[in-house]
Amino acid sequence: MNPTLQTLAVTLGILFTLLHVAAVLIWVERRLLALLQDRLGPNRAGPLGLFIIVADVIKIFTKEDWIPPFADRPLYVIAPAIILLTALVGFTIVPVGPGMVVLDLNIGILFFLAFSSLGIYSTVLAGWASNSKYALIGGLRMAAQMFSYEVFMGLSLMGVVILAGSLNLSEIVEAQRGMWFVLPQFLGFVIFLLAGLAETHRLPFDLPEAESELVAGFHTEYSSMKFGIFFVGEYIGLTLIAAMIVTLFFGGWLGPAWIPAPLVFCFKTFAFILFFILMRAAIPRPRFDQMLSWGWKYLLPLALINLIATGALVLIRAD
Amino acid sequence: MTVAFYITAAIALLTTMRVVTHTNAVHALLYFVISLLSVALMFYLIGAPFVAALEVIIYAGAIMVLFLFVIMMLNVGEEHARQERDWLSRRFWAGPGVLCAALLAITAWVIIETAHPSVGHEVVGARDVGASLFGPYLIAVQLAALLLLGGLVGASHLRRHDRRTPLRTDGGKGGES
Amino acid sequence: MEGTQYWPFLVYVGAVLVVIVGQLLLSHLLGERHRDRVTGEPYESGIAPTGSARLRFSIKFFLIAILFVIFDLELVFIFAWAIAIHELGWTGFWGAMVFTAILAVGLIYEWRMGSLDWISRRSPAPRETAVRPAP
Repeated sequence: MNPTLQTLAVTLGILFTLLHVAAVLIWVERRLLALLQDRLGPNRAGPLGLFIIVADVIKIFTKEDWIPPFADRPLYVIAPAIILLTALVGFTIVPVGPGMVVLDLNIGILFFLAFSSLGIYSTVLAGWASNSKYALIGGLRMAAQMFSYEVFMGLSLMGVVILAGSLNLSEIVEAQRGMWFVLPQFLGFVIFLLAGLAETHRLPFDLPEAESELVAGFHTEYSSMKFGIFFVGEYIGLTLIAAMIVTLFFGGWLGPAWIPAPLVFCFKTFAFILFFILMRAAIPRPRFDQMLSWGWKYLLPLALINLIATGALVLIRAD
Repeated sequence: MTVAFYITAAIALLTTMRVVTHTNAVHALLYFVISLLSVALMFYLIGAPFVAALEVIIYAGAIMVLFLFVIMMLNVGEEHARQERDWLSRRFWAGPGVLCAALLAITAWVIIETAHPSVGHEVVGARDVGASLFGPYLIAVQLAALLLLGGLVGASHLRRHDRRTPLRTDGGKGGES
Repeated sequence: MEGTQYWPFLVYVGAVLVVIVGQLLLSHLLGERHRDRVTGEPYESGIAPTGSARLRFSIKFFLIAILFVIFDLELVFIFAWAIAIHELGWTGFWGAMVFTAILAVGLIYEWRMGSLDWISRRSPAPRETAVRPAP
């Protein structure tokens, strides 16, 4: 096939898959949570209740697209766009197969960190622009949470960088041919997993939108597809974290030779998404102050120790 | 690549202009973020990808959010926007504007008259930056660490309350606990 | 840089922008419209809102933000070291060690000062932050 066409197909294929994964995840999560909580979940529309996705999409598009008269209009509209943009663009550096990547950047990991830090604006601006008390407190919490957890998200990745000797994600995957980095970097993996969960504000760490305290947090005043974009953005952020875990710690697309590489990658990523949903069902929400001080007091020193130990070991082995 | 560079430079200039002339502090800050992002892209285009990434992570991702916090904390509202509009009247900006224009003219003249600086011939990757930072410039790195330590110590005193007169940080109106 | 293809990225970002704008526009066009007595009021659990939503919030948020900026800067130096570790060898390692130790001192100082605790441990008297906005 023409290489240009092939690249185009990969590029648009990744985007197409991502957007559909986000939609399907709504159904997967509801069914799985129901299973784990001994309920039925959505099972009426279509086989296994799958058509609930279509119904949800129709519903959310025909809801009133309300912009509060007290809100800061331009910021209110931009805020949801930022979260989807940063999550989707952050995905461009993830290699789904050998050579199958939208942007093969030498500073791949830094690109990912940069875009995940830009995601803060979405929630803070949403909270501020809504001009509502719950939204503001939710936005502030989100910012404090992302501040705290982003530092050691970066630190936990440096062990992988030391081992692979590269910031390029394709090279990091290739460096795992002998052994997946989850074994020498288990601590780094656990820290990245926690930081990633906090970054996507998924349920154990969903304090910015804790419904029992803040109604819905930063998107209290959002309705229709603007709310939907926050929702989709959260799922895509979740997929991105799962994909990054797979790429950095679980060998990316490396797998048995008889399975196509992208399928291996999708399978591993999906396994982690299921794990995240399981965590949501299994773990209660911590208190906000506990969560923050826990991060600074324990995860940050642990990430530093992990980094130093990895560096020393690599240098000792090189001698 | 050259075309892309000049387009991003133009975007950086325009957005920076809007930062100065905008009366709403939060909107101005967003323009500032865009300006920083275009500067990052310029760095990337002239062959400094590591600096470009740091520009986004540090300036756009961290320092600007801190600014946003300050603006939100200071409760900047409509009356501040009005005050800003007053400050943007001609008698305030005419003097500094003329002086800045003179400075710009001299800078442009110097650049045109002297050498022809050319960039973008070689790419300075992350590894090169690291090798020189922790090699010949190690002392500077340690000094930076001390500076950051100073910042940390200073920050921790922000919330130190005088125990006899408890400071009401939230103005008594409430807030997050 | 050389050898990297950029056009797929531009195509991708373009497609993402089309998707986002499309979603916003579509929901704007399809959505219903209605005006009732309290449509234009912020949601505060069904109670009439009082006061402004521009709350002044705790200084601790600001403190966390400053800590973040400082440690993010530290992170940047660590990035530079981690990527060049083989070129730098043990000299660079000890350099990075001293650098990390200085900031670890800072972290311990913050810890001892109680800046990492949201609720003040040393001075239990002023419980001012527990005041919630009146409904």
